[in-house]
Amino acid sequence: MPLSRRAFLGALAAAMPAAVLIRHAHAAAVDDIAASPRTLQALGEAVLPSELGRAGTLAAVSAFQRWIAGYREHVELVHGYGTSALGTTGPTPATKWAAQLDALDRTARADGARSFAALPLERRREIVRRELTALKADRIGAVGRAPHVALALLSHWYDTPDATNRCYQVKIDKENCRPLATSARRPLPLAQVRT
Amino acid sequence: MSAFAKRTVIESDVCIIGSGISAAMVADRLSRTMKGRIVVVEAGDEAPPLGQRYALRERFMEYGENPWPNDHLDGYEMEGPLQSRSMQVGGLAMHWGGVTPRFSPEDFRTRSMFGVGTDWPISYDELDPFYQEAEELMGVAGEQGPAAMDPRAKPFPMAPMPLTYNLGLLKEWTAKAGITMWSQPVAKNSRPYSGRAECCRNDTCSPICPIGAKYSPDFTWSRLRARNRVTLYPRTLVRKLVLHDGSMRIASAQAVQRNVKGAGTPVEFRAKTFVVAAGYVWSSHLLLLSASSRAPAGLGNRSGNVGKYLAGHRNQQAFISLPIKLFPGINGQHSLLSKQFMRSPVGTEYLRHDLRVWESTFDRGPRLKGDDGALMLGDEVMRDWRERTRTGVARVRAYYDVIPDRSSELTLDPARKNAWGDPLPRLAFRDAPASAALREHSVGAIQTLFQTMASAGGGTVIQREEDDARGWQDHPVGGCRMGDDPATSVVDKWGRAHDHENLFVVGAPTCVSASCANGTLTFTALALRTASEIAR
Ligand SMILES: Cc1cc2nc3c(=O)[nH]c(=O)nc-3n(C[C@H](O)[C@H](O)[C@H](O)COP(=O)(O)OP(=O)(O)OC[C@H]3O[C@@H](n4cnc5c(N)ncnc54)[C@H](O)[C@@H]3O)c2cc1C
Ligand code: SF4
Repeated sequence: MPLSRRAFLGALAAAMPAAVLIRHAHAAAVDDIAASPRTLQALGEAVLPSELGRAGTLAAVSAFQRWIAGYREHVELVHGYGTSALGTTGPTPATKWAAQLDALDRTARADGARSFAALPLERRREIVRRELTALKADRIGAVGRAPHVALALLSHWYDTPDATNRCYQVKIDKENCRPLATSARRPLPLAQVRT
Repeated sequence: MSAFAKRTVIESDVCIIGSGISAAMVADRLSRTMKGRIVVVEAGDEAPPLGQRYALRERFMEYGENPWPNDHLDGYEMEGPLQSRSMQVGGLAMHWGGVTPRFSPEDFRTRSMFGVGTDWPISYDELDPFYQEAEELMGVAGEQGPAAMDPRAKPFPMAPMPLTYNLGLLKEWTAKAGITMWSQPVAKNSRPYSGRAECCRNDTCSPICPIGAKYSPDFTWSRLRARNRVTLYPRTLVRKLVLHDGSMRIASAQAVQRNVKGAGTPVEFRAKTFVVAAGYVWSSHLLLLSASSRAPAGLGNRSGNVGKYLAGHRNQQAFISLPIKLFPGINGQHSLLSKQFMRSPVGTEYLRHDLRVWESTFDRGPRLKGDDGALMLGDEVMRDWRERTRTGVARVRAYYDVIPDRSSELTLDPARKNAWGDPLPRLAFRDAPASAALREHSVGAIQTLFQTMASAGGGTVIQREEDDARGWQDHPVGGCRMGDDPATSVVDKWGRAHDHENLFVVGAPTCVSASCANGTLTFTALALRTASEIAR
């Protein structure tokens, strides 16, 4: 049987210097989320809009997983304007988020369910609401600074061109390469948006 | 192989210090108008090539990572507001937004016209051909505004950036408030230009254009280097300029080629002419570092004015909610511009400002909590977002004049040194007392204008902002002010140091004032004008 996430991290902590430990902890968290994606997918169904459908939700969750996997610590951030101070990316959020996914499953088991994914949608939302309220979360901010994995997933998807297109129900495709000439006309309606 | 493997003395006809946009313009013109050897010395590293910029942009978009890795020198944290830590081949204009308004004719004559500030030793008309040349070299897409507000002798080299659907609606709105606006001129291609692609409005101009549709100086360097018209030495920090034994001419630039942290190989650059093109901070800094027994206060500094008269401007900004449907994201960095307020009305308190309008997502993003404070999830978030975006928000901003003062200065900081033991600069921006006295009036008048605009469109000002972070003045200039009188200025109207006939300073540091608009196009026009004098 594979080592649990916590047991694995504990073993690493005893054996390795901090920088190496953090790198391994990040990789372990990424692997762990990838190896058992059901909880994250179930979270996606609870927090993302239902109009995405199953395929859209799975795609949004996969994109978020790729974001987590691509995160790098202590990398120089884009320079601030009007200051000589430099900034770097912070510690990986992956370990915290992996632990929060574990916690969602634990809560579900305490409810008598097999896992978070086995709970009805409304019950999942109740749990997430309770978690976010406890963390005093009040905005959809930057993904990397999200205090909870549910909020990080929301932030990640709502920042996409797809989310903006769906909100406005037209094809804006923000931040994508688009012909200059068409910018003067009203964006075209989306062909199929389920509202 | 290192450029210095064989020798540590480099000789040339013209040695340009810095490789930013001003340097690129000087080198471009000199390469066309003189035969001699041109050498460029740049403290920072090479910028990543165009082919890598899509991937770098992705990392920036996803994680906020700097798309220009390592474009800084370590240990350069300093006191006071620095525009940017970026130091690399191409300078700050690798990050820039490419917004390129000209200054207005009034900017050059504020003393004669309005009784404030100092007149420049040159006029707008004298600079007009160099503005044109800079616009053609960079590729500026612009719309001719009303001639009285926006005079120019020749048309823009490219048709304007089209007004987006949103800007079209916002222009109609501002017209109702009696304001004439037009498309902001930008150094971005509205058609393929100079071998570079047409803009595809993917909206990350600052900090990085992935397709080269925005002009950046690396394009000029690539072209001039490919033709062997310049030799550029990256990673090479000039520490000091040295005088000839028997005269006040500059003999050499003493530099260090940076290798491993803290170490470096000394290099000497000898030239007939030296051009300091190191931007508004590093130009005066280098002159001050070059103090010697014959120039105890630093080079070019007999008047004591090196580092003085740092200048910039401030802005007032507001977000106005309007009863119109906008679709933010069509080309968000592009804006409308007006120069209607650049001429201070006679008989009133002095106030000049520009005006810009953008689409905005302010207060129109998705949110977690509704007006009742309840937490939303799933369909609720999208439903709420759709409901709130039935109406749009405009961002309006006015940059207004700050009159420069001698006490607004760059000095050497004895407490902070770089890896080679040279003191770092310390920056302190200060308003002239007359300017400080006008501030309340300026802010009030601009806020009243925003309110009038909101009312004209049946809208509401939902947020006001003032940029005054730590005494910062935006689009900074100064430190080596130009003038006819050597007692009150550092360089003459050509950028030549009053004290040293073979030393020129170009661009931002030479500006007498900072207008109420981004200054880079003006810096480059001044740089080209200096280059015309050097080649004469
Ligand atoms: C995020 C951002 C957005 C901007 N957007 C706009 C905009 O839209 N419109 C606009 O008009 N302006 C804009 N600006 C400002 C614009 O980028 C600058 O005004 C312009 O690039 C300055 O060019 P420069 O050649 O004067 O100096 P710099 O770009 O600072 O170049 C000076 C170069 O000299 C080098 N150097 C310094 N000291 C030494 C030394 N001792 N030895 C060797 N090399 C040295 C530096 O490393 C640097 O590369 C923006 C700036 C930033 C940071
Ligand atoms: S909008 Fe995109 S393509 Fe156009 S100049 Fe800016 S970054 Fe380049």
